[in-house]
Amino acid sequence: MPRSQSTSERSTSSQQTNPSRWQGAGWPAFVSSLKDVAVIEDAPMRGTFATDAGGTSYGMPHGVVIARSAAQISALLKAAQAHRVPVTVRGGGLTTEGESVAFGGVLLDMTGMSKCLFIDPQKLEVRVEAGIFWASLAEHLRRQGMDYLSAPLNLTSSVGGTLGVGGIDVNSARFGCSADQALALQVVTPTGEIVECSDEANPELFRRVILGYGQFGVITEATLRIRRYTPIRMRYYYYASLRTAIEDLQMLDREQAADYTGILTMMDAAINLLVAFDSGEREAAFDAKWHSRVRGMGEAAFSARAFLSYLVRPWRWGEALFLRDRKRQLFPEFRRPEHTRDGKMEDRSVVFSRAVWKFWGGRQMVIPDLATSSAKFAEAVERGNAVCKRFFPRYTLYCVGIRLREEHRPHYEMSCIPPDAAGWAYGCEFEPMIGDGTWSRDHLQSFKNAIYDIGVEMGASYYRFGGMMKGYVRRVFGDPLVDRHLAMKRAADPAMILNRDVIF
Amino acid sequence: MEFSSCHGCSLCLLSCPVWRQTRDVRLTPHGRAKALQNGASAADLQASIASCTLCGACEPACPEEIPLIDMILELRRQQPIQVARGDVPSEKEISVGNVLLAGEVLRQDPERLKRIASLLDIAVAADDGSDISRAIECGAALSSERLSSFMGSFRNAKRLVVADGLLLRKLREWLPEARVVSLGEALSTLEAVRARLRATDLYVIEPRAFHADHARLVRHYDALIKARNLKTNLDLQRLAVPTGASSAAKRVDPLDQARWILDGRAFERVVVEDAADCAVFARVTDRQVLHLGDL
Repeated sequence: MPRSQSTSERSTSSQQTNPSRWQGAGWPAFVSSLKDVAVIEDAPMRGTFATDAGGTSYGMPHGVVIARSAAQISALLKAAQAHRVPVTVRGGGLTTEGESVAFGGVLLDMTGMSKCLFIDPQKLEVRVEAGIFWASLAEHLRRQGMDYLSAPLNLTSSVGGTLGVGGIDVNSARFGCSADQALALQVVTPTGEIVECSDEANPELFRRVILGYGQFGVITEATLRIRRYTPIRMRYYYYASLRTAIEDLQMLDREQAADYTGILTMMDAAINLLVAFDSGEREAAFDAKWHSRVRGMGEAAFSARAFLSYLVRPWRWGEALFLRDRKRQLFPEFRRPEHTRDGKMEDRSVVFSRAVWKFWGGRQMVIPDLATSSAKFAEAVERGNAVCKRFFPRYTLYCVGIRLREEHRPHYEMSCIPPDAAGWAYGCEFEPMIGDGTWSRDHLQSFKNAIYDIGVEMGASYYRFGGMMKGYVRRVFGDPLVDRHLAMKRAADPAMILNRDVIF
Repeated sequence: MEFSSCHGCSLCLLSCPVWRQTRDVRLTPHGRAKALQNGASAADLQASIASCTLCGACEPACPEEIPLIDMILELRRQQPIQVARGDVPSEKEISVGNVLLAGEVLRQDPERLKRIASLLDIAVAADDGSDISRAIECGAALSSERLSSFMGSFRNAKRLVVADGLLLRKLREWLPEARVVSLGEALSTLEAVRARLRATDLYVIEPRAFHADHARLVRHYDALIKARNLKTNLDLQRLAVPTGASSAAKRVDPLDQARWILDGRAFERVVVEDAADCAVFARVTDRQVLHLGDL
């Protein structure tokens, strides 16, 4: 990865990390020019979008537009170019660094365009408006016995937002990141053209928009690959060592031993490798070939081991009690009878997502992450874990693999997929359990910086590198690549109005 | 009100019928809570306040456990919505034992009401509080005399079976010692009724009562679904998709909701818990539509 120390220092010293507010020059004339586009300017509506899921970044748009059609968005962007008014696009608003927060200008609420347009079970495709939540899409698909390939474990992520940044699921080691399931898009470019793009039609735009962090257009419709729905059978293996768990995860991914894999931890004291299967055949094959190679323990054995370990370490009994209580809260949530039939979990996205919001959600969500090649991953997680320990008493790590698709490599440039990854990339989210606790913004920012500095040192990437963390974009990708993308952005968006505070 | 606890996760949108039909966040619990956090008054939220069907699906979905129905009812008290007033029953009686509060729609069908009362072996209350329910729903003032007269009727009742899901929610608050169950739960617990449910039925759960006691009732209906292999109007979150037919709010089109409930589902009969849903489903399907009490 090109990273000249002197060049990086020079670049970052002049780059602002926190976005500046657009001051509203020409706003009345802009609004007047929008004859068929309703701009909502009342304070309560604008305030609805003042922050994102992260809850640490605040900004007020001058007005909100609820997306209704590609033609409406086209008119909006053409006027925004002419009047140089920033437009910030928001789907589910599940960014954590203010990427979907408008610091002045227009907030475009894409959830206004959230219909499922058609499902083709024969071709295994669905066409949707891009503001649709994945959970809403699942509702439509399940009526036809279908399911999407992969989506973030969060019910209110939008399809368009996810395609713009990547998206990871516990089956990403098999299907790739969520953006990889996109077959074709309808995009409104920053200058207002409505363009259909895919690998065949307007492929350059398709490459830029997928994993493009909203820089090169507004995704208004998407055609996605889908599959037959199956309930899943879950297995849990427990570890006391992060490295051992990661080695097992990567072994299972490499050999495609399971349909779903991921690591979820309670600090580094209880490390859970989740393995799941779409069919009895896959599970039987796993039992025959891989089960004996997995070094994790069952729940009972791990609990007994942990009990003995804590028994002789009274100074860690507080941690032991926390783990016990957390287990008592969490486990029933993953085994709710209404989502279980014949020992299989139905609607895994609902089960996981509800647990995410219930046990990890809050007013503030700080989730720095590292995305690395397979070879660097264990070291990155161990170093990130040490940072977590330094900053917070309680935290969670969430690790998954992402199968890379060679034909999609052009999409991956300057994205969460690290350039040195081959075969699989790996991501780890480091999430402190903030709960109702109060932490200063300095503390939270220092924690994020400490994690992201590991990424710079190791030549990694990040899932969340925009918004308040965009100061890392040049440090991690280097000036030549960023400047090339900036030139493309300037060509596509002459007034630099679309999602202007996200990357550049 | 605890609107300040909302941090904007949008989970309430997923199950909100108003959201499904309008895609306008201003008309949702999320939109109302955020608007209130940003200084809006009830008057500012008039359209939003008037649009809610009170189906209650948002409440079990909310990870912050905000009492969203209480929130909208409080806003409606500040900003009442206009609807025709129901009649105040003139009869006065003291009920003992098991009592059925039939509600407006069921009362209009004496044959069905008689059949249900017989199935449940229950007395039908002359005063079923329909006017009170309607006043609560619209935010109209309730006289304390009327309320105490109504409540006094049931002071000695052992078990109240309530067809109106909104009234049921309030009766649980007002009569914490009484056993108050929904008509749907009461009927679907009867073996004689359960046995007549078929795997080819689409069973439509009344949403207001279901969501008011979701943690318990989701187990009840899950057992019913598994025992009879039923299809239902539950979504993937196990929240009941409402038609909104019983709602005083008119923003949601019940026919569109009914079509969405039926969409992609193979069935031979529609079996509904809410009598108001019979007419709605009859308009969107040529299959047989039955009330649970008709089985």
